[in-house]
Amino acid sequence: MQPRFHWRLPQGDDRPGDMRDCSAPHLEEQIPFCRDAERLGFDSLLVDFGIDKADSIVLSTALGMATSKIRFLIAYRSGLLAPTSFVQQLNTLSSLIDGRISLNIVAGSTPDEQRAYGDYLEHDDRWARTDEFLTIARGIWRDGVVDFDGAYYRVEQARVRTAYVASDGSRAPQIYVGGASEGARMVAGKHANCLLLPADVPSKIAPRIAPIVARGVEAGLRVMVIARRTHHEAVEAAHAFRDFGPARVHGSFGSFASRSDSQMVQSAMENSAREWLTPWLWTGAVATQGMMATAIVGSYDEVATAILEYQAAGITQFILSGWPKREEMHIFGSEVMGRVLQREAVA
Amino acid sequence: MNDAPLRFHWSMSSAADPKRRTQARAAMSAVPDFKVLLNFCLMAEECGIDSLLTAYGSYRPDPIAMAASLGVMTSKIKFMIAIRSGVNVPAQFVQQINTVSALTNGRVCLNIVNGHTPEELASFGDFLDHEGRYGRTDEFLAVCNAFWHRGENTVNFEGQHFRVANGRLGSRYIAPDGRVAPEIFVGGNSRTAEETVIRHADCLWRFPDVLSVVGGTASRLAAAGKETGLIASVIARATREEAIAEAEALTASFDDSARKVHEQALARTDSVASRNVYGLARQAEWLTPTLWTGAVPFMGPASVAFVGSYDEIADSFLDYKAAGVSQFLLLGWPDIEEMQIFAREVAPRVRDREASAAAMTVKAS
Repeated sequence: MQPRFHWRLPQGDDRPGDMRDCSAPHLEEQIPFCRDAERLGFDSLLVDFGIDKADSIVLSTALGMATSKIRFLIAYRSGLLAPTSFVQQLNTLSSLIDGRISLNIVAGSTPDEQRAYGDYLEHDDRWARTDEFLTIARGIWRDGVVDFDGAYYRVEQARVRTAYVASDGSRAPQIYVGGASEGARMVAGKHANCLLLPADVPSKIAPRIAPIVARGVEAGLRVMVIARRTHHEAVEAAHAFRDFGPARVHGSFGSFASRSDSQMVQSAMENSAREWLTPWLWTGAVATQGMMATAIVGSYDEVATAILEYQAAGITQFILSGWPKREEMHIFGSEVMGRVLQREAVA
Repeated sequence: MNDAPLRFHWSMSSAADPKRRTQARAAMSAVPDFKVLLNFCLMAEECGIDSLLTAYGSYRPDPIAMAASLGVMTSKIKFMIAIRSGVNVPAQFVQQINTVSALTNGRVCLNIVNGHTPEELASFGDFLDHEGRYGRTDEFLAVCNAFWHRGENTVNFEGQHFRVANGRLGSRYIAPDGRVAPEIFVGGNSRTAEETVIRHADCLWRFPDVLSVVGGTASRLAAAGKETGLIASVIARATREEAIAEAEALTASFDDSARKVHEQALARTDSVASRNVYGLARQAEWLTPTLWTGAVPFMGPASVAFVGSYDEIADSFLDYKAAGVSQFLLLGWPDIEEMQIFAREVAPRVRDREASAAAMTVKAS
């Protein structure tokens, strides 16, 4: 099976000295980026959710209106809006952009940020609430009408008159659940099309996803990529990424991690004790750039090899990001994707 | 009289579907026809309409997604996004509205509604009664406003329905005029709705009534520095006879099924505003020489209509302005045509009268 490639939509900027605020859309840059992703053959763009960002559903609406093929993988959390209204909003969006949406359901990563939103639940309870949230939302998509009486949500005859609209015939968005905890796996097993895992070595990923894959759920990998013509150039680019940005930001990930109750964050911290987890999986930037900075670093061929190794371990979808954010998508799309597909065809 | 010109808004709910309100709600489709709605928005821009109401409910497309999508394709028209408390947590709602404001350069305002039918509310997981919902709305708006007006502070709130600790958002409300929060309207005819406006909002939307009743509402709100607006339909024609003939043709076009739809709606609602209007309609078909309730049994509370010649309607609007009304949210049947008639014939007459009233004021002083 051919792997599906997704890319993370840049929200701030990454030119030195220009740490752009990501709290509002920058359509003048984001629309060309989306069109590039479309042209390069990416499946969808991940639109993050977070307290410092523009709202991911509203931003996807604006970007969807300006594009025609690319999908939007919209990150959202439970506990923010009623599931009925969530379905209504997504169905409305589906009708506007021909169903080019999928969902990345996450549980949130720091209690501080959750409380700023008015969410006081602990980590495991947030996954329990997410389970109920998705039970209702998927019920509306599947059956049209839902009655539900749970610990977190109660609805009677929940229904939405705005149908989910997609010319490919799908009646609901694909659901990706992201997380490394037991809670995430439980929710993914019940509700998701794809479980998203944080970067780790293929040998550790394989046993982790086996039970999920056995239940027919796909496994996706969330990882950074830094691919260059030669290994040496890639490592140089990786080092530049590690050292990028003001020194005061560097090291702040440690304090973020200590406040986080996400297992994904904790395991990224543990992994970053070793700089190279494989000849191509590099954690050197985690300390300065955060938990999503674990990267596949290498020549075009080396990165393609890494992708194939993950595929052999059971990964079928890749949610990628890179650095510099815009250029790296071009490099991956024009140099690496073709090599992966070619070598797959040969194998 | 308030010197500011009357502001006119229009409802997008029935755009290109003139008989929508006569249908059982279950028969309505809520899949938006984007081209029709965009055309309606562009027409409203041409007509000088201030904002378009995008309604909320299980029979509607989502108003925030509609405002965002229509907003990026238009340049002048504002979107009045309807919302109930109890659907979103305040911070997430503020984040969505802020993002819409950034996309539209501040062309967004809010219409806070209370919901009207318990069974429809239950489908959203809302099981509170009428007063309970207003209690929650009070907290909801308190927290939303705290986010919008927080400056560099964080938001802390401990209520019955909402809690926030060290709340902050990266996004801000963006508008060219420097507003830090959207203009907030609250819909309702109850005293509780008035109190909500006084505590948290800018303007009340109420259904029309005779001048003395509306004037009472307006003076209570004006005392607190708040505005009063009327939600009404309009049938304006060159002569009074033509307008009445149009109104009569409208009611004649309905059959008993439309009446049954609204009898059932009335039986299920806990909205004070809806009950008021159905009550008024039973008392009299004409509340004033221009205010007609004849369509209410078939089309519901928002069909209380100003019916008359262009001059009569302009005069009537000025009478309500004198009583303290500063804004109108209008509907028409058919929608686009009535909006065009309004813009071409009624609005200029209103502006003429406002100008001569201002001139008289200058003379007198």
